[in-house]
Amino acid sequence: MSAVLKAVNLVRIYSGGALPVPAVRGVDLEVEEGEFVAIMGPSGSGKSTLVHMLGGLDTRTSGEIWLDGKRVDTLSESAWAMLRREKVGFVFQFFNLVANMTVADNVELPALLAGISPKEARERRESLLAALNLADRADAAPAQLSGGEQQRVALARALANKPSVLLADEPTGNLDSRNTRDVLRLLGEVHKQGQTIVMVTHDARVASLADRLVSLFDGQIVDDGRIARRRTGTAGEVIDLR
Amino acid sequence: MTTLEARAERPEARVMTTGMSTVRAGRRWIAADLRARKGQAVLTVLLVAGIVAALIAAVTLLEDGTNPWRSLFAQTNGAHVWLYTKDRPPDEIGAIDGVTSVAGPYRSAPVTVALGGKKEPAGLRALPSQAPQVARPVVTEGKWLDASQLDGVVVERSFATALRLRTGSSFTVIALSGERHTLYVRGIADSADQGFYPEWTPGLAWVLPSMLDRIEPMLGRSEWVTGLRLSDPEAAQIVSQRVVVTLEDQLQRVYTWREVRAAMELDNRLLGTLLALFGVVGMVAAALALANAAGGRVLGQLRDLATLKSMGFTGGQVTLLLLAEHGALALLGIALGAVAGWAGTVAVLGTTSVAPIPVLAIVGGTALVVLAAVGLPAWRGGRTPPIPDVPAAPPRGHLSRLARLALLVRLPPALVLGTRDAFTRRLPAFLTAFGLAVPMMMITIGLGVWSTLDNFLSHPEQVGQHASLYVRPGKLESSQAARIASRDPGVRAVYPGTDVNALAPGEARSVRVRALGSTIAPYPFPVVEGRMFARPGEALAGQGLLDLLGVRIGDRVRLTVGGSPLIVRIVGRAVEPDLDGEVLSVGLDSLADKDAVPPEYYALALRPGADPAEVRTRLLAASGESLEVQRVVNPADRLSVIRVVIVALIVVLALIGLANLLTASALGLRDHAFDLAVLKAMGLTPRQVMATLVTGTGLLVVVGVAVGAAAGVSMVAGLIDLQGHTSGVGAGIGRTPSALTMTLTVLVAVGASLAVALIPARRAARAQVPVTSR
Repeated sequence: MSAVLKAVNLVRIYSGGALPVPAVRGVDLEVEEGEFVAIMGPSGSGKSTLVHMLGGLDTRTSGEIWLDGKRVDTLSESAWAMLRREKVGFVFQFFNLVANMTVADNVELPALLAGISPKEARERRESLLAALNLADRADAAPAQLSGGEQQRVALARALANKPSVLLADEPTGNLDSRNTRDVLRLLGEVHKQGQTIVMVTHDARVASLADRLVSLFDGQIVDDGRIARRRTGTAGEVIDLR
Repeated sequence: MTTLEARAERPEARVMTTGMSTVRAGRRWIAADLRARKGQAVLTVLLVAGIVAALIAAVTLLEDGTNPWRSLFAQTNGAHVWLYTKDRPPDEIGAIDGVTSVAGPYRSAPVTVALGGKKEPAGLRALPSQAPQVARPVVTEGKWLDASQLDGVVVERSFATALRLRTGSSFTVIALSGERHTLYVRGIADSADQGFYPEWTPGLAWVLPSMLDRIEPMLGRSEWVTGLRLSDPEAAQIVSQRVVVTLEDQLQRVYTWREVRAAMELDNRLLGTLLALFGVVGMVAAALALANAAGGRVLGQLRDLATLKSMGFTGGQVTLLLLAEHGALALLGIALGAVAGWAGTVAVLGTTSVAPIPVLAIVGGTALVVLAAVGLPAWRGGRTPPIPDVPAAPPRGHLSRLARLALLVRLPPALVLGTRDAFTRRLPAFLTAFGLAVPMMMITIGLGVWSTLDNFLSHPEQVGQHASLYVRPGKLESSQAARIASRDPGVRAVYPGTDVNALAPGEARSVRVRALGSTIAPYPFPVVEGRMFARPGEALAGQGLLDLLGVRIGDRVRLTVGGSPLIVRIVGRAVEPDLDGEVLSVGLDSLADKDAVPPEYYALALRPGADPAEVRTRLLAASGESLEVQRVVNPADRLSVIRVVIVALIVVLALIGLANLLTASALGLRDHAFDLAVLKAMGLTPRQVMATLVTGTGLLVVVGVAVGAAAGVSMVAGLIDLQGHTSGVGAGIGRTPSALTMTLTVLVAVGASLAVALIPARRAARAQVPVTSR
């Protein structure tokens, strides 16, 4: 299997304040095609920064990022934006649906951006929303939806262009347990269809859904291992102990 | 999950270019955003439309005031060339190339109108009871001529105004034979056939042909007047030459629309510069309104913009998106405003009276200015980092010095908190204060223009109008005229004067030399630079003259007056409202005797409280109607329309200031939502919360209004003087508004702003603020 996403000695230092703050300190990471990677760590361990850098939302201080076999860390902000249209899907903790647009428009927007005809974009949106059980909410405004519904719409939006990699930053961080279960079930299904997923979470139960668990602490990877399906609880406890 | 799988297998159909795709996606976003804020968008459009319409209306009104010919010509379907002949002209003049139609020929007889002891020259023109198609007098009062009333007359408006004639009044006309006839005014009409009375004499009145035959039966004592309407106004000169050639010595005189227009025009570039000032004010106002509306909107949706970027919009595309959205609103507003302003002025002034060039300048200028104004927030939006979840930077928590001071003097907690709020968030604080300061500054400038006009009226001597009457000897001896004038009890001083044209070296045209008073008893010219002339050979110049000749105070100039040289040293500069300031003022004793004796006219300075009209009547009576007595027209009298414009502008500016304040406080509240919850949790009552918010805004309001007023006051005199300089009048006319006016304005501004700030504050204080994540 080839690596869809690869980070080599990735460093991010925030130098805005009086003292430079290293958020990510030399991370090496390879994500294989179809893999589901969970990145865990306590607050401030640099996990969100890492996933933002992998999607080009944040710039790296040094190191390399490779996506689909191409080096991308040297891209300009605009080039990153163009790349994201087709290769990267993002899901955020606070859903980040465009507030003014209906659910349907939110899901169609990335498809339109990627150059799909409006007709096909609509078909895609219909099939995606139907798959996510949201067909009847297509014309609703995001604010009229529950948190779980909003996150499902955000997921549909992220998947609209069948991205090479789906980056999820605490996708269940703002959801109650029932909605968390729904969203996780969806992530699992998408993963089963071959979608590569990198998910940041601080919840061990959520992380247990992944194939592989990467633990970050103070901006460095301290543990990287595959999760055996049966050992969910144990893995969570190990992390909790840190 | 079958649908998901099916989608995954489907081959990608990416056939469109990326540009096209961005346009599609962008359009979707703009449409959604506009739908979500219909009210705000409509308000923005209306605000811009209002400003543009007000500007166009103001410009057209002013233009119409300075150049009334355009609308009169359009309304009367006027003729471009007028010719006067001894006999009825042959029909072939209608066949000259470029002539589309002919007015007349009408028979016209010279008469004298005797009314209330005054005698005025008039031309009675015979027109049929059916008003003609070309050069049709437009009746503004009363009715047109009718065969049922043979002794009816319709009088041209400026002539009627000069004679104080109303519909129904009567007057006597004296024909050349000395025969008298009484005519009754049936109507008063506008005409573009000739200039206004008394600048253009004789005055114009229309009677029926049969009546004219009765008043002046002798054909030899009358002449024929014919108007030619041309397909191309520019061809007037050529056509009039053809007329001269065709009619030869039959022709008595010919003039074109250019002469009529020039006669009607105000000889005053001051107006043009004031107009430009208003234009600038209006455009800045429009820019400000839009920058604030767009800026507020962009700041409010930074999160959405970040989301767009995370989805694959580049920074440039986001900027373009915002520019397109807000720019489209602005352009729509401009278009609506242009149509409304055009329709409004057409409704008021009649068709095609809108001057195209100023209107185009307004539309183009406003478009550029508002696009630039929208550009900044759009650029800011495009620079949003693409990470949507980054929380806003927390405000600095320290107490400002002001707040510490407030604590020291033991102010209530709400006031302390409000004081702290006012200055901890620097950018919104700046926006609020700035958004108020700029309109306030503009309002102050408007008030300054107002008080400058007042100053024109109350102190005409400061704009070179020390004398309010000019007396020409007419049929009398010059010395007789001076004696009559100086004997009048209302006259304080009599200054003999003569105007001559002088050729300047290297200039193709001549400049005016005004010799008035003598070096011993000089006319009190308003000298604003240098000093008054003290001996023969010294002179004062207007700014326009200094600029024209490229000389400075202290320089010597050599002019030629009627062949003899005039060498003077310019010792000072006077405020000069006439002839674009291209006037040289000297004492009468500086001119050669052949030019100076006898004086051409006498300038009369009146005693305080003397009414120029009464003095004029007395002088006319004392001289047996032999003197020519002319009243000086104060420029401010003709600029009164500016006052209407100032009021309109102040209203618009006040609205803009308040709109800016609303945007700023709405934005502030959004940022404050958390603090409000915390404040309430700490135990502040809704009233105290409200007081906190109002204090926070109020301080900024006071700062903004004070800064704006101070900037306006410090700028206004300089600005008007600058414009005076460019218009040739010269610096020294600008006046700042009075202290009382400014105090009242500042109080009203602060009061209104606080009242406006109270609305969102009240709502916020009552609202249930959830203490959850944003």
